Amino acid sequence: MPVAEGKSVQQTVELLTRKLETLGAEKQGTFCVDCETYHTAASTLGSQGQAGKLMYVMHNSEYPLSCFALFENGPCLIADTNFDVLMVKLKGFFQSAKASKIETRGTRYQYCDFLVKVGTVTMGPSARGISVEVEYGPCVVASDCWNLLLEFLQSFLGSHTPGAPAVFGNRHDAVYGPADTMVQYMELFNKIRKQQQVPVAGIR
Amino acid sequence: MADVLSVGVNLEAFAQAISAIQALRSSVSRVFDCLKDGMRNKETLEGREKAFIAHFQDNLHSVTRDLNELERLSNLVGKPSENHPLHNSGLLSLDPVQDKTPLYSQLLQAYKWSNKLQYHAGLASGLLNQQSLKRSANQMGVSAKRRPKAQPTTLVLPPQYVDDVISRIDRMFPEMSIHLSRPNGTSAMLLVTLGKVLRVIVVMRSLFIDRTIVKGYNENVYTEDGKLRKMPATLACLACLAVDSQQSSDEARELISGQGTGCERGDSSASQSQLDIWSKSNYQVFQKVTDHATTALLHYQLPQMPDVVVRSFMTWLRSYIKLFQAPCQRCGKFLQDGLPPTWRDFRTLEAFHDTCRQ
Repeated sequence: MPVAEGKSVQQTVELLTRKLETLGAEKQGTFCVDCETYHTAASTLGSQGQAGKLMYVMHNSEYPLSCFALFENGPCLIADTNFDVLMVKLKGFFQSAKASKIETRGTRYQYCDFLVKVGTVTMGPSARGISVEVEYGPCVVASDCWNLLLEFLQSFLGSHTPGAPAVFGNRHDAVYGPADTMVQYMELFNKIRKQQQVPVAGIR
Repeated sequence: MADVLSVGVNLEAFAQAISAIQALRSSVSRVFDCLKDGMRNKETLEGREKAFIAHFQDNLHSVTRDLNELERLSNLVGKPSENHPLHNSGLLSLDPVQDKTPLYSQLLQAYKWSNKLQYHAGLASGLLNQQSLKRSANQMGVSAKRRPKAQPTTLVLPPQYVDDVISRIDRMFPEMSIHLSRPNGTSAMLLVTLGKVLRVIVVMRSLFIDRTIVKGYNENVYTEDGKLRKMPATLACLACLAVDSQQSSDEARELISGQGTGCERGDSSASQSQLDIWSKSNYQVFQKVTDHATTALLHYQLPQMPDVVVRSFMTWLRSYIKLFQAPCQRCGKFLQDGLPPTWRDFRTLEAFHDTCRQ
């Protein structure tokens, strides 16, 4: 199920939701995606030789019973919620980086076969950005319907329409899955975290 | 009401007859008055008797005269006409209590409605009969005696022949795969998988296509029997820490939930469940395409050569491989009301939006 994400100007969530509602979308509840970061501990052994490899453990309210574990540019694991408990037991190998929890919360809209989620990205108590996720249910091959998605995005995002996500370039004909969604979210969160280095005036 | 009854009634004579009745009444009452009064006081008894009898006779004569007059007039009045337009139901209209029992007005409305219905049904049948919609080679109008002898040959085909035709069509198109099964007797059920775009369940009656249901590639096409999961996003129940590459995680996931998602990987593994031929797709796109497919199977008709029909239907269906990629030929856009171009022209196989088609 192809997904596109973008980020637009902060504090325009209201504007976006109003645009969606005039388009005819129905509100269907809320959603939440969060992410925690873990470092590989110094005393790790085995194939994880390089120090400082980051692992992200993410949850998505769209798949409430599962837990996603991602490495950057690496494989993605889909597990059930007991994985969190497992991470606690693996303290020797993976240490969580504190104050790195980042999440996005917002409302979920449905328009025809499109699922649109507009959320505010927060890190701690402060809001850092806006995430917009558009999902087109019927199509399972990512590259097929990018043009369709683009047209839909243009109808309510206007000039802020993003380019094609990198995920699409990798595998042309493979079936899209939730792992690809989480990879995109991870990239988005990293981008927002990097933006944190910029002084406050730059953040809108 | 008098207007209704006045056909054939002479109003003039009617009025005269009423006054004649009054005259008769008054003369009869005079008779009885005379009798009541008795004899007048006269000098002699004979005189009194004579006067009384004369008076009495006068009164009786006037009664007779009035009665004759009345009879004459009643013949002129005539009967109310027999060809009453409403017959007995018109008498319902005489019921004065209109708001409690509005029988007559309801009766009139029901009658008008049934008349209109009959008229419209006649028009509709005339229009529908212009296009013959019979797809089999059965001939209507053949008398019942002859029909058992003239069995239509195209409806009774050996299943092996049907299998052969279907497998030949299967080999024709590389991106379309057809799987045939016969769970309910002799009628074949095809599961057509078109690339990674959609799946179609086609229910057939010998070599005629009866109905189709179009669903998404990731939707469940089998009925639940308690073991199958419905959601396409599979959940692996074990956490593998030794996962290094995407490849092995795929395999691991497949092993763990292999029996749950037979519909995605192949159809032979889900042999316990049956094809679900009734439930609609969850997506509006595919509901629309189902409607179009039903139109198509009614459009492609050739009663004598059903295999040509099936072949052309499959060719038409194959054009949906680019369902999400092709823009509409008329307006050039991808989306219209949130739907991609779902209509494929029957002759040229071009993509149009449902609202853009000619």
